[in-house]
Amino acid sequence: MLGKCFFIICVVSVICAAATGNLSQLSNAVIDGASSSVELTLALAGNMCLWCGIMEVLRRAGAVEKLSLLLSPILRHVFPHSWKNNVAKGEITAAISANMLGIGNAATPFAIDAMRKMQENNPDKDTATDDMVTLAVLGTSSVNILPTTLVALRRSVGSAAPFRIILPIWICSSACAVFGMTLSRTLAKCKKSISKSQLRKE
Amino acid sequence: MSEFISSLILPAIILLAGSFMFFSKKDYFGAFCSGAKDGLSTSVKLLPSLCAIMVALKMFSVSGAVELFTGFLAPIGEKIGVPAEIFPLLITRPVSGSASNGAFAELIERFGPDSFPSLCAAILMGSSDTMIYVIAVYFSGTGVRHTRHTFPVAIAVMLFCIFLSCFICRVFFT
Repeated sequence: MLGKCFFIICVVSVICAAATGNLSQLSNAVIDGASSSVELTLALAGNMCLWCGIMEVLRRAGAVEKLSLLLSPILRHVFPHSWKNNVAKGEITAAISANMLGIGNAATPFAIDAMRKMQENNPDKDTATDDMVTLAVLGTSSVNILPTTLVALRRSVGSAAPFRIILPIWICSSACAVFGMTLSRTLAKCKKSISKSQLRKE
Repeated sequence: MSEFISSLILPAIILLAGSFMFFSKKDYFGAFCSGAKDGLSTSVKLLPSLCAIMVALKMFSVSGAVELFTGFLAPIGEKIGVPAEIFPLLITRPVSGSASNGAFAELIERFGPDSFPSLCAAILMGSSDTMIYVIAVYFSGTGVRHTRHTFPVAIAVMLFCIFLSCFICRVFFT
């Protein structure tokens, strides 16, 4: 699927570049993109080390379990499979809470870690499980409690009331997250009834 | 106040982990290191697929696609209540974090932070994320080939988010 995504974006880029006469910049962008992926990985590697390390400390101390107990009344219904089989509960909870608090630097490592653990328990290694899909969808549309950067940006250009966007953002981001969760769960249920593994069992 | 709270979150988590290392007899520093080692090996696994995705995204951002799509889509957007001014932001938002931050900064500077398009943009920025990058990073450590309904749902949520942020903005600020 990422391969298709790659191809579509490249084709659209080449067509648009040809149409706007930007073709000459395209080759620079290719080289640029390749080297910036290394920079990105390095930056991510530092964050991954820090947050996976902290996660391990908090897990051994039992703090992660307490946090996941706190959120489990909700998350149990969002990630039913992980909760039933006791897979990556702590990582999922940590990723969701870090996203809500606006610390994306920590949310990404937690989510990557959660995905890895879910993949270990995935019977079909080629295909994402329902819970993996839900976590990815929630990663793209999470509830945002503290939109600090936006408030700071608004203040820096002289907004009369930089904080007035907070309540609308709460409403909008929660609605989007609920919409994403519901859609992902519904589609998972629909597709399950016709999925290959089901056919094989019968 | 919110800035104060959020600047406390990170130090608090670090201090919490540090206090375990200090007050407990168990080897929590060893735990940190073993977790960090796992994190490092996972992040190295991300590079191959991240490389491909970053090349595609960079190509997209220099190709002039943003201007082209803005030209095409803005008239349609106007009809359903999405201000034309925020279209450069809408198109860069799922693709690139730095480009959409740039588009947002330019928008609030040009139209003022309390104008209608800027408020719509702020709500949109707060409720969405760089979709393609997030999905690529989440899945690239796993080796999954079929992401099933991830992209359709994420795109649907993105569109829903665009309409909703403009709608909420209209309800709140006009």
